[in-house]
Amino acid sequence: MTQPPERDSSGRFVKPPSEDAAPDNRNVHPLSRILFGWVDHPRTPNLLLLLVATAAAGLFLADLVVDRHEYLSFAEWNGFYAWWGFGAFALAVLSGWPLGYLLRRDEDYYGEADTKPQDVEEPDE
Amino acid sequence: MISLLTQINPGLLLVLIGIVGSLMPVRRVRQGLMIATPVLGLVLLAAAPREVDLSVTSALGLELVLYRVDSLSFIFALAFLIASFLNAIYALHSDDQLQDGMALTYAGAAVAATLAGDLMTLFIFWEITAVSSVFLILRAGTKAAYNAAMRYLGIQILSGVLLLDGLAYVYKSTGELSLTAFTSFNDPGALFIFLAFAIKAAFPFLHNWLQDAYPKATVIGAVVLSAFTTKLAVYAFARMFPGFEILIWIGAVMTVFPVFFAVVENDLRKVLSYSLNNQLGFMICAIGIGTPLALNGAAGHAFAHIIYKGLLFMSMGAVLYRVGTTKASELGGLYKSMPWTTIFCIIGAMSISAFPLFSGFVAKSMTMSAVGQGGYAVVWMMLLFASAGVLEHSGIKIPYFTFFGHDSGRRVKEAPFNMLLAMGLASFICIAIGLPMIGGFGYGWLYGLLPCTAAAAADVCMLSGEEIKAYQPYTLDHVLTQMQLLILALLAFMVLKKYGFYPPERPGTILDTDWLYRRPGYGFFVWSGRVWDKLGPAMTTLAGRLASAAFNRLEAAFSPRGTLARGALTTSMAVWSVVLLGIVMAVTLIL
Repeated sequence: MTQPPERDSSGRFVKPPSEDAAPDNRNVHPLSRILFGWVDHPRTPNLLLLLVATAAAGLFLADLVVDRHEYLSFAEWNGFYAWWGFGAFALAVLSGWPLGYLLRRDEDYYGEADTKPQDVEEPDE
Repeated sequence: MISLLTQINPGLLLVLIGIVGSLMPVRRVRQGLMIATPVLGLVLLAAAPREVDLSVTSALGLELVLYRVDSLSFIFALAFLIASFLNAIYALHSDDQLQDGMALTYAGAAVAATLAGDLMTLFIFWEITAVSSVFLILRAGTKAAYNAAMRYLGIQILSGVLLLDGLAYVYKSTGELSLTAFTSFNDPGALFIFLAFAIKAAFPFLHNWLQDAYPKATVIGAVVLSAFTTKLAVYAFARMFPGFEILIWIGAVMTVFPVFFAVVENDLRKVLSYSLNNQLGFMICAIGIGTPLALNGAAGHAFAHIIYKGLLFMSMGAVLYRVGTTKASELGGLYKSMPWTTIFCIIGAMSISAFPLFSGFVAKSMTMSAVGQGGYAVVWMMLLFASAGVLEHSGIKIPYFTFFGHDSGRRVKEAPFNMLLAMGLASFICIAIGLPMIGGFGYGWLYGLLPCTAAAAADVCMLSGEEIKAYQPYTLDHVLTQMQLLILALLAFMVLKKYGFYPPERPGTILDTDWLYRRPGYGFFVWSGRVWDKLGPAMTTLAGRLASAAFNRLEAAFSPRGTLARGALTTSMAVWSVVLLGIVMAVTLIL
């Protein structure tokens, strides 16, 4: 499914935009700058991962302290929900690889590729 | 005066005003009607006395109960009316006479079907939901939408026909059409009605109409569609099939399989449609359990779900309206231009993922507890898997790939104010009914609406003398285990994304079981059409030849110039007369 590289009007290859390129910060909504300004910061992904991993560890520890009562006895194992949540999520996501190869067809497979409804706004340009 | 008002069925009111609205060319008047009517409906519903036949008529020798409110129908009708009000606000920026009117009629039909007191009335409004909702798909104006709308209509009408068939059987065997719950499938009517409900509730293998039609509807249409049809079916199951064990397993399967389709699907409105299916599974499963706690779980979940699923469809509608697509592969970075929509979408996503403090948590906890209480370990594990799956496709995939992720470079305007207002109100409800009880404000409002309370509706909830204990969603156990599930699933997402194991979003059509009727099934009909085109004339020619040959033979024998007319009659005629007389005499002698 690789797209052929784009060419400009004189036939030369155009460099595709890289995911690592500096974020494009033109025309950003002022509220976005206040609320989500931190999203584009280069250290954000690692900090978030650290935060979530710490929270996860904290939840495992909390489970040692809390005496849980479950209707189903196996759910009382320490961190049962945590393991099951991690495993279920990973299984769902990883199954996307084989399922994609198995089930994905061309967009126009049924001859109904154009699904843009008429009540969307026409772009200004 | 008050007694007269309580006889007006709010659903019927919405249906009629909707029809008036579709003929009303003045935009502001029409939109005023679209907003005011659901509010009036809410007032009428609140004023109506419970468990009384409020409006009765008779037709075709049947007594029809048009309007009857009890604790189960109340919560569903309330949710439908609130959704209809929010949808009217969401649609204010558009000027589409037919769509506005039909959206209200559709909502009204769902309300009226919920408030119906007998099967025939239910059937009538069941069909009106099908016929009025199809316009919300057709108005998209594309060939894809037209084809999907025709498939949708065919399947919805099939559901209606099955319901009619079932109620005829029920009438024959019991002599009445009341909405009493079935206890077994012994009556064939029960089976037909079950199938009719199953189609509208999008059971596995009967689900494709939903994922086919909803993503092809208009921006507003998809929001409206997401609220009514399927939840009407959930209500119908809760009313007529509570405690049927088969529903537990069907529900569990329904929660699990859409997770896998949602992972690979690129169109985010279609992802939401699969997610809708997964959420219905929780409700169907709870209805199968059938205990008061489980039925409360199903009804509470339906209420919360109507609001947060509407909210998610609204946010994707806003993106579609501004950007022109909801394909994940073409979106990303929209938080830079649509911050309000981003916030509302995240609130919807956290509600559906059942984070504590949001409506999904207080609703889904009841179902999970009821399944655990019933001892269904495998089903419970399936539902837990599906809960992590919801976080994957609705909690993370929808907001992440639309508003964050790889910046698509698209800079658009924020959604129109009316859309933001509708999303804001829906977000408010999601949080308000999810909070712990502080100063009389919080989840208690939702729990106060649940059908099975100690005081209400023994016939709805099959209470066997036992009191219902007040359910506590905010225990340390619940919060801790739910956070473990969600945070570790979130950690899985971050790890898989960081190390490149997360499958990239790619454009394409994902095959589902509707392939069977859209490809081989359709192909078979095309092929048989071609065969008939050839075979038909050939058969006509053959029949013509045979007929003319037979005619020629007969003519050769009997016509004035034929064999029998030739020569004298005497010899052969005399012989034959003697023979015939002989036979007649022989027969009379023997007898």
